[in-house]
Amino acid sequence: MKTKPHTPALLAALLTMAAAGSASADSADGGAPDYTAMSPQALAEYLIFEAGGFDLDAPTQEGGTARDRMVQDEIQQICTELKLSGKPLDRATAARISALADESMKYPEKGIALGDWKKGEQIARSGYGFRIGHRNDDHAAEEPGGNCYACHQLDPNEVAYGTVGPSLAGYGSLRGTSDAMLKHTYDILYNAHLYFPCTNMPRFGYHGTLTEQQISDVMAYLLAPDSPVNQQPPATAER
Amino acid sequence: MVIRHLLLSFALAAICAGPVLSNELRAPEEVLSDLIEKNESSYLTQSEQNIMMMPDNAALWLADEGKALFYEQRGPNNVSLETCDLGKGPGVLEGAYVELPRYFADTGRVMDLESRLVYCLTTIQGFADDDPTVSTRHGSSSDMMKLQTFIAAQSSGYAWNPPMEHPLEKAMRDAGEVLFYRRAGTSDFSCGTCHAATGKRIRASVLPDINRPEEWTKAISWPAYRVGQQNVRSSQHRVRGCYWQMRQPESIAGSDAAIALMSYWTDAARGQPSILPDKKR
Ligand code: HEC
Repeated sequence: MKTKPHTPALLAALLTMAAAGSASADSADGGAPDYTAMSPQALAEYLIFEAGGFDLDAPTQEGGTARDRMVQDEIQQICTELKLSGKPLDRATAARISALADESMKYPEKGIALGDWKKGEQIARSGYGFRIGHRNDDHAAEEPGGNCYACHQLDPNEVAYGTVGPSLAGYGSLRGTSDAMLKHTYDILYNAHLYFPCTNMPRFGYHGTLTEQQISDVMAYLLAPDSPVNQQPPATAER
Repeated sequence: MVIRHLLLSFALAAICAGPVLSNELRAPEEVLSDLIEKNESSYLTQSEQNIMMMPDNAALWLADEGKALFYEQRGPNNVSLETCDLGKGPGVLEGAYVELPRYFADTGRVMDLESRLVYCLTTIQGFADDDPTVSTRHGSSSDMMKLQTFIAAQSSGYAWNPPMEHPLEKAMRDAGEVLFYRRAGTSDFSCGTCHAATGKRIRASVLPDINRPEEWTKAISWPAYRVGQQNVRSSQHRVRGCYWQMRQPESIAGSDAAIALMSYWTDAARGQPSILPDKKR
């Protein structure tokens, strides 16, 4: 359904065209452009940013406003277009995405190390943080989490886990704790598009939704040999 | 995608090919058990308790209260809502909700149930926009939820069938599809992250798949009594909730963005019977 990539310039051109255009089908709030003359992408952008679809002026926890949350970066834009096109990921797009991810990477000054798995477990279980709108999450009252369990199995004894992402039960015992594995795991938490272009996985490091310390704590939960993630489930789990 | 959709709706409209669209009122629990029988879906079957308790759905009482409100002479103009045109003519309620959102010539807009009801309350009964009857949108005690639940229940068992004849209806539906798959925000989510594959779970909740109309019909069957919230909730309440979970800005009720999204999600359930009112976790 999509033929041209939409750029802000193209969007601006379309909007100007539509606003100045002769055929205005939508007379209800005068000045509104003719929706039927716009591409679905251009109309969607218009509905978000110009037509009062969202409370864009609300403040966000990271500073700035809700509007910033709706502005797509290039990875979000490319992955949206890919999904809408219904096409499989081609090599050129995959290369572009992982190049963008590569550019975004930042590593801890003191090197990548495992933190405290107990803190990592709390982060993995908590879905708090960064919600805005009718109820704002207050980061001063509660530390944001990573909500890993929403999508992944981790501790094999936890039954309430999601399946949108792959199971990570036994993650460390299957992979070990070599420097290469630490870096690989860090990269995935920071920006997983490096290895999995257009993955569903949020970019926790890139967006700053988890701090450097929190990432190392979650890494410990995944990799430390004494973490519950890496224990066998008891034969008779009482749940 | 658009082309395929056009062909499909054309074929359905022209020769009524494929499954015969059901168009008789049926009790919600009957519709649901029929769907479960005909389809393999862990989403449809996920909460057995809810299924068993469907006939006791508190939303059914709300529908009764909504009925009384609908026919009562109210507002500054002291008239009932019997002249409210929900798309099938003044006062025609049966089967009206499954054909929303739709284009209305009197406003020049595509409107969903909530925005059309606001239009009727303000233009026919003369309520001001800030009168609680109009402005209170959420909660079982609100007039909005009572009226929406009553009106929607007059479509239970009818197949979703939003019209796509007017160019604005198609434009809104297509923009809604873009909105559904548009990734943004600090979590990089779109609706499609969670609702475009079958049998996936978030924690313990099985997610409905927009590509399976027989699942998606239950997903969009609102108003529904939400057991966890002990309130009857609307489509817009669900839209707002999912944007909130996605860490994206608050969706504004009655906005064209919200209506476009609902145009797409209703189109995605086309042909499957609605479950109204529903009961959900
Ligand atoms: C991070 C995952 C996630 C995303 C992203 C998401 N949802 Fe949901 N959605 C859920 C979950 C989980 C439920 C079930 C709620 C429950 O059981 O309490 C749900 C429920 C729903 C339902 C009702 C189905 C039911 O059984 O209650 C609809 C409709 C829906 N979502 C639409 C959307 C739309 C539209 C968007 C985008 C604006 C969206 N969702 C984004 C996770 C998500």
